[in-house]
Amino acid sequence: MTTKARRILAALALLTALAVPGVEAQDKPRPGGILTWFDYGDPGRLDVHAESPLVVQQATAGVYSGVLHYDPDDPSKIAGDLAERWTVSPDGKTYTFYLRKGVKWHDGQPFSSADVKASFDRILNPEFQSPKCGASLKPMVAGVEVIDANIVQFKLKFPAAPFLPSLASAWCRVAAKHILAKYGDLNQPEAQIGTGPFKFKKYERGSVIEWEKNPNYFIPGLPYLDGVKQFILVGGPTQLAAAKASKIMLWDAWPPMRKTQADELARARQDVDIYQASINTIFLVYLNSQKPPFNNPDLRRAVNLAIDRQELVAKALEGAGVPCAILDPKLSGDLALPLDEVNKVPGCRQPKDGDIAEAKKLVEKHYPSGVDIEVAVRSVGNYVDRAQLVIAQLRKIGIRGTLKTHESAAGYAAWGKGDFTMIATQDRAMDVNDASGVFHIAYTTEGGSNYGRMADPKVDELAERALKESNRDKRRQAYWELQRYIFSRGDTPTIAVAWVEGWFFTDKKLRNYKPGLTTYDNNTFMKVWLSQ
Amino acid sequence: MYGSIRGFTMRDLPVALGRLLRRQPLGAAGGLIVLALILVALLAPRLAPHGPKDAAFAPYLPPSAEFPMGTDQVGRDVMSRVIWGARLSLYVGLVSVVFGITAGSLWGAVTAYLGGAADTGSQRVVDAVMALPPIILALALMAALGQSVNNVILALVVLLTPTAARTIRSVALGVVASPYMEAARAVGASRWRIICRHLIPNCLAAYIVLVTTNVSYAIVVEASLSFIGAGAPPDEPSWGGMLTAGIQALETAPWMVFFPGLTISLAVFGLNLFGDSIRDVTDPRLRGGLG
Repeated sequence: MTTKARRILAALALLTALAVPGVEAQDKPRPGGILTWFDYGDPGRLDVHAESPLVVQQATAGVYSGVLHYDPDDPSKIAGDLAERWTVSPDGKTYTFYLRKGVKWHDGQPFSSADVKASFDRILNPEFQSPKCGASLKPMVAGVEVIDANIVQFKLKFPAAPFLPSLASAWCRVAAKHILAKYGDLNQPEAQIGTGPFKFKKYERGSVIEWEKNPNYFIPGLPYLDGVKQFILVGGPTQLAAAKASKIMLWDAWPPMRKTQADELARARQDVDIYQASINTIFLVYLNSQKPPFNNPDLRRAVNLAIDRQELVAKALEGAGVPCAILDPKLSGDLALPLDEVNKVPGCRQPKDGDIAEAKKLVEKHYPSGVDIEVAVRSVGNYVDRAQLVIAQLRKIGIRGTLKTHESAAGYAAWGKGDFTMIATQDRAMDVNDASGVFHIAYTTEGGSNYGRMADPKVDELAERALKESNRDKRRQAYWELQRYIFSRGDTPTIAVAWVEGWFFTDKKLRNYKPGLTTYDNNTFMKVWLSQ
Repeated sequence: MYGSIRGFTMRDLPVALGRLLRRQPLGAAGGLIVLALILVALLAPRLAPHGPKDAAFAPYLPPSAEFPMGTDQVGRDVMSRVIWGARLSLYVGLVSVVFGITAGSLWGAVTAYLGGAADTGSQRVVDAVMALPPIILALALMAALGQSVNNVILALVVLLTPTAARTIRSVALGVVASPYMEAARAVGASRWRIICRHLIPNCLAAYIVLVTTNVSYAIVVEASLSFIGAGAPPDEPSWGGMLTAGIQALETAPWMVFFPGLTISLAVFGLNLFGDSIRDVTDPRLRGGLG
C-alpha cells in the first residue's frame, strides 16, 4: 500500500466516522474558533527556507503560501496556491506559472513574481544552506526568470518528474522580497510576513505560537478559523497529558503516539478519533565519517552489522514500523527493494548472532579492549529511550557508548557542524512524497541531512540517474540498483533503521482536516473549521 | 585532652553509639536501613540478576517471579537497576557530602578562628551562595558543566559547602572562645597547631551530624536533578532517572515508578532517622532529655 493509499484510507476512516448518524459531516462550515495543537519543541529560528525541523514548518505553515501546494481537499493532488495555473514546455524543461493578481502581503505590500524570484534565488543559491526545499530543488532547477509581474518561469536542468511534487512541498514557501531585504533572513517573528491564511501573531519562546486570521486572504471566505494556537510541549508525558486534558485538538505530526499512549488517550477521551498511519519518516542512525573511530570503514561496518533494527522497531516503536528498508514499499511501492531481499542483507538478517560476532571481530581488530564513544541524541520524542537501546546493542561488540543529550535546536546545530561522533537516532521526514526524497536528504553528498558526511560518487550518480529517469520501469531499476549498492557497501555512515509509523488523533469537532502525504504538508488549516 | 563547647568528646563516641542502640530504637532502625543500603550497593554485581543496562527483555513486563519489579520501557530489569541505583545514589551522596561538608567545615572553622576581615568576607560569600535557590543553582551548574555523575557531585559540593561553612563556623566560634583555647595560645602554640589539634577535633561531632543528615539531602537532589533530566545520563541506573522514565508510562507500567520511588523514600527515611539520632545523641540539650 502506498503512502497515498494509506493516507487516503486514514482520511476515509475519518470521513466514515464523521458520516455516522448524529454526526454532522455534511453541514456548512462554521466560521470562528481557535484550533489548538502542539509543537514537540521550541523552533528557535523560524526561517522556513534555511531550517529543517518540523517545528519550524509547523510554526510558520499557515503564514506563507507556495507557488503550488497539496490540495487541502485532496492532499494527494498538487494544486495551485499563489499560481492560478501553469504550463510545461514540450521538452519538459520549462515550467511557466501564472500567478494570482491582487494578492497582498500581511503588511499590505503587493505580491508579484519578483517575490517568487527573490525567494527561489535565495533557496537555489549554492552558498545558501537550504536543507529541505533547496536540497530537493537544487539538483533539478537551473534558475528562475520573471516574465512579467504575474508570470514566472522555472528552468530545469533536465525533465524531472519530482519537480512539481518538490515545488508543492510546504518547505518551498514564497517570502516577500522586501522582507528578505529588510531582515536578511526569516528567523525572527517580525519577519513572518506571508500571504497565507493566517498572520503570525505571537511567539513566546518555549511556550506558545499563535496565528490570527488574515482577513485579506486571497481566497474569499477563508480561513474559517479565527486563529491557531500551538503549544510548545516538550516530552511525551506533557504531550499526552495535554491531549488527555483536551488542551489540544489534533495530534497528526511527529512524534506519533505509541500504542500504549494511544490506549491511554482512548481511555481518557471519547471525543477523539484515533488512527494508525505512516508519517513518511525514516529513523536513521548517523556515524561521523570524518572523526575517529568512525572514519575507519571497519568500525562503520561493525555498527551497520550490530544495530538490531527489528529490536528497535519492536521496542522503541512498539512494533509500528518497517525495519531495515531504505525505501518503504508502503510508501514508494515497487520503487522500494522487496522486503524479502532487504531482510536478508547483513545487518538486517535474523538471527543476529553471526553479524554480531563479525562486528565484534572488526572492533577487536582495531580496538582489542573495546572503544569508548560519545553517543549524541536530541532529547525529544522517545529518542533517549531509542539511544539507550542502541547503546546496549553496541556494547555487545565492544563499543561502549556514553549518552550525551542535546536540546532540540542545539542538537541540530551540533549535527550541522559535525560536532558529534554518533547520533543514536534521528528521524528524517520526507519533504516530498517521492522515492528521491530519502536519498537527497540523507545519502547524497549534498544531502540536506547528510550529517555523517557520506560522500560516495556512485551514490550521487545513481541518485541523479534515478531522479532524471521518467520511465517507471527504468526508474525502478535505478532505485533498486541504488538501494542494493548502499546495502552492499555495508559501511555507510547513514544507517536506515526503520520507516516510522504511529498513532494519531483528531478531535471530533475538528472538520475538514485531511492529513497530508508528508508530515509537513497540509498544516495551513485554511479550510478547517470547528463544529462547536 | 579535647574540651568541647557542648561537652561531647570523641572519646564519648562508643558510649554514644551504645546509647543510640538502647535509647534510640528508631535511629537504630535507620542505621540498619543505611547498613542494608551500603551492603546492597557494595554487592550490586552479585545481587543484581541482570546488568543494569541490558535491554534484553520485553518492555513493560509486570512484576513476576522472573522480574520481581517488572521491566522498563526498553526491556531492562527494574530490580537490577534499583540495586545498581543504590550504588550510584550512595556514591553520589557520600562523595559529595564528604567533599562538600569537609571543605565547608574547614572553611568555617578556619575563618572563625582567624576572625576579622577573613571571617566577615567569607561569610558574605556564603550569604551570596546561599541566597540562590539550591535547585536552581544546581541546574545552572549542570547546564554549564554537562550531564555526568561526577558533575552532579560537583554541583552538590557547591551546594553543600556554604551550608557546612555557616554551621561549623557557629560551633567553631564557641570553641575559639573557650578557656583551653586561650591556654593553648598562652603557652605559645602556633596558629596551625591550635587549629589542627584543638579547634577541628572539637568541631568533629557537629561535622559527623552534618555528614549523616546531608547524605539523604544529596541523594534527593541527585534524584531530583535526574528526574528533570539534568542529573546522571539517562542510561545510568539512577533512581531519579528511573522515575522520569516511569512517569511516561504511569498507567501502563506503574511498577516503573513505584519501586524506585519506594527505594528513594526508604533510603531517605533511614538516613534521616539515623542522622537525627546521631544529632540527638551528640547534642547535650537533647541528650539530657533522654536521661
